[in-house]
Amino acid sequence: MKEQAKQYKTLILIACVAAVAAVAWFVHSLSQSEVSVGVDDRINITPEQIESIKAIGQWEFLSIADEDMVDTTRKGFFSDDHLVRIYYGTVRLGIDMNDVQPDWLQVEGDSILVQLPAIGLLDDNFIDEARTKSFHESGRWKGADREALYHKARQRMLDHCLTKKNLKTARQNGDAQFRNMMRAMGYNHVVIRWDQE
Amino acid sequence: MAFCACSCSHSKQDPSEAVVTDSLPMMVMQIQKCARLYTTEYHIHKIVTHDDMVRLKGKVMNQPFSIPLPLGERKIAIPLDATVKAYIDFSRFSERNIERNGNKITIFLPDPELVLTATKVNQEEVREYVGLVRPHFSDKELSSYEQQGREAILAAVPEMGLLESARANAARVLVPMLTQMGYDEQDIIIAFRKNMDLETIINSSLERK
Repeated sequence: MKEQAKQYKTLILIACVAAVAAVAWFVHSLSQSEVSVGVDDRINITPEQIESIKAIGQWEFLSIADEDMVDTTRKGFFSDDHLVRIYYGTVRLGIDMNDVQPDWLQVEGDSILVQLPAIGLLDDNFIDEARTKSFHESGRWKGADREALYHKARQRMLDHCLTKKNLKTARQNGDAQFRNMMRAMGYNHVVIRWDQE
Repeated sequence: MAFCACSCSHSKQDPSEAVVTDSLPMMVMQIQKCARLYTTEYHIHKIVTHDDMVRLKGKVMNQPFSIPLPLGERKIAIPLDATVKAYIDFSRFSERNIERNGNKITIFLPDPELVLTATKVNQEEVREYVGLVRPHFSDKELSSYEQQGREAILAAVPEMGLLESARANAARVLVPMLTQMGYDEQDIIIAFRKNMDLETIINSSLERK
């Protein structure tokens, strides 16, 4: 009888320890649990396709990396809507070999005359629009509004970068680079002329 | 100064005048002299897509779960065009890049490099579908997807095998220049320094075949 009571006590003790351990494990598991509501902000995997490959011949002598903050405001009855974006672009100045005259290089002994076309903008599309940062938005804006901002940023970058000073710097650098290249080719006397801008 | 300029322009503005105003200063401009010969232009197209559904996510008893909530879905497709150009850097060009042997001339060039010169979002063709109880895509979200699309293009460019055409086109630009200097086409060799095996040596006479 006494022996049986002792066995019951041992069993109850083991059951209590197991229950405490189970509760502790359950509480620990719950504390490790996490629940949240959210959406995935990654894009899907889609292919990149080469649409065209074009042979070109453009010498770049000056590049101007520009960033511009452009905003637009729409007046409303109760409040105004704003959209502010930061655009990035690189204006490249140089010459296009399609514009050189047929006899742009004239050699006479160790002398060479190089007639180069006027320095100009190498690319009409120079804005890296996919790098654009959204700075502020209130109200709802459409693609046409973003397109208008893009053209505004483009015009503003052209105004900043396509200056007489930059064109002159590009020409001076082009002069130095062509002179250096022709000397490397073995011409001791190099004359470089530029077409009128 | 920028703040002053803004406040000045605001004080002069007639409130009844303009419906749309645009007036923020230019931020940063970095000017760099260079001597690059661009030889090839590539146009790359990508449709950036994103779809999101609100999900209840988490981990209970070490078991992860993800349950879609009936709040509606949003989808967007953004057509993106990128322009990549290949160029040869001539800034360190010197006598060491030229080798003459009688009437023959060999020009050693550094390997072409690639640069992303422009990207353009086709705003007209952007398509979005938004569930009834979901907000429209914000400008910040759109910018984020476009930036991810740009990164994906940059990551894919090295796998596209663009450099071979860039090397061939470099010869197409330089050979006419050298013929004007008096060299015969068959005497001109344009070679690239990094890979001096036969495949990468582009001889103008081979190019014509």
